[in-house]
Amino acid sequence: MTRPPPAQATSTEAYLRDAGPRLADLCTACGACFVACPMVDVIGLRGADASAASAGLRLLARGEAGPDETVKWAGACAKSGLCIAACPEREAGLDAMLLVRIARQRAINDTRQLGAKGDPLAFPRVKTFARLQLTDEEQKRWLE
Amino acid sequence: MAGVTTQHEASGIPKGSAGKVTFWFGCNMLRHAELIRLSMLLLEKAGYDVEAAGGPGYCCGTAHDHQPKAASTMSARTVDRFNERAQSEGRGTVVTWCPSCHMHMHDIMAPGNPVQFDVAHVTEMLADAGPSLARLFTTPVPRRVMLHRHHGFNSHVAVNDKVRSLIERIPGIEVVDGPAEAGHMCSSLAAVPGALEPAARRLWTEAVAQRCDTVATIFHSCHRELAGLDNRDGIRVRNWVHLLAEAMGLPAADAYRDWKAGGAPDIAAIERVGEAHFEKLIVPELRKPAVLR
Repeated sequence: MTRPPPAQATSTEAYLRDAGPRLADLCTACGACFVACPMVDVIGLRGADASAASAGLRLLARGEAGPDETVKWAGACAKSGLCIAACPEREAGLDAMLLVRIARQRAINDTRQLGAKGDPLAFPRVKTFARLQLTDEEQKRWLE
Repeated sequence: MAGVTTQHEASGIPKGSAGKVTFWFGCNMLRHAELIRLSMLLLEKAGYDVEAAGGPGYCCGTAHDHQPKAASTMSARTVDRFNERAQSEGRGTVVTWCPSCHMHMHDIMAPGNPVQFDVAHVTEMLADAGPSLARLFTTPVPRRVMLHRHHGFNSHVAVNDKVRSLIERIPGIEVVDGPAEAGHMCSSLAAVPGALEPAARRLWTEAVAQRCDTVATIFHSCHRELAGLDNRDGIRVRNWVHLLAEAMGLPAADAYRDWKAGGAPDIAAIERVGEAHFEKLIVPELRKPAVLR
């Protein structure tokens, strides 16, 4: 059981906006996160330049366009988390998985190098599954 | 859950003595109502006073990276609701199921919103109560189980070890670790073309090679993806919660798996949601081909 970290901003949107450049400043583009990532094999990038790919994260996290390899890699992040421990700047405060996450968000919303993957039927679908299985009382108490 | 409360004292933990918690089951767990109910039951057996919360009204926002403002609003609303429960009901701990929700709370929601509660994963809470819960595992479960694992989420909670420690307490069970796959659960692999099928094939090949008769999933999305393989090569697909329920002599139904196998909800349930909704939203998912052909 842990107490989540204290608030550092007034919203998650503001936090992520501020965290991108801060994490980018901590990153040395050593490529350790890329080397540790198992998704690199899945998307056929194992032979790519790890340092260049991670340098691309810094660009994207600051809202600048990144190289294609970085965009493809960030877009395929499956939250394996192995990059977190692999990062030599972890002790300095660099959460590598969060940096990749922010890079991906910027590639979707700012540089438009990634397409959005939202499923408009996701909520209607889970609501329908709920109504198939939950009693009225359960729906009232659990879903409000 | 008739017949369950009579067993409660057997765990040796007085009801509610461990404190009040909110069980935050997330959105997609709504496909698996039995897992929600059984998880609540297990937490109660571990001594917690449990109320559940989930669904779109408690969305963490993690699936809305393409809508940063909407995601921010969702996360603020959810934190506010948990803060309110902590203040008004004394539910000072939010117990998560979904690893996406848990990581999103720790990494993104809390840094952007003042949080007045602690967070723990359900496997942490139950593993801590493992010795007491084990007194309730009175029914042998003679299965040789391959535990389906992912690398992800272990950066936050050692979930693979926690689940293994729990199911190993079941009399008669043998547990074999499956390959540790990329991602935090199968839905993250399903989103990347070509990622899920090889992972499922490695798991299944290893389960056959190790002569396992059961594959045990940890998370709901893995259960959703693997349920369609139930009975392939004589191997059953169960969630770890189902296994604990079996050991407690409780019904461990799995409607989703049964529906994937060709069953259907009863007519009254389909009429309740509307046949058009059912055909549009539910049938395509249930009839999607299994991950392995």
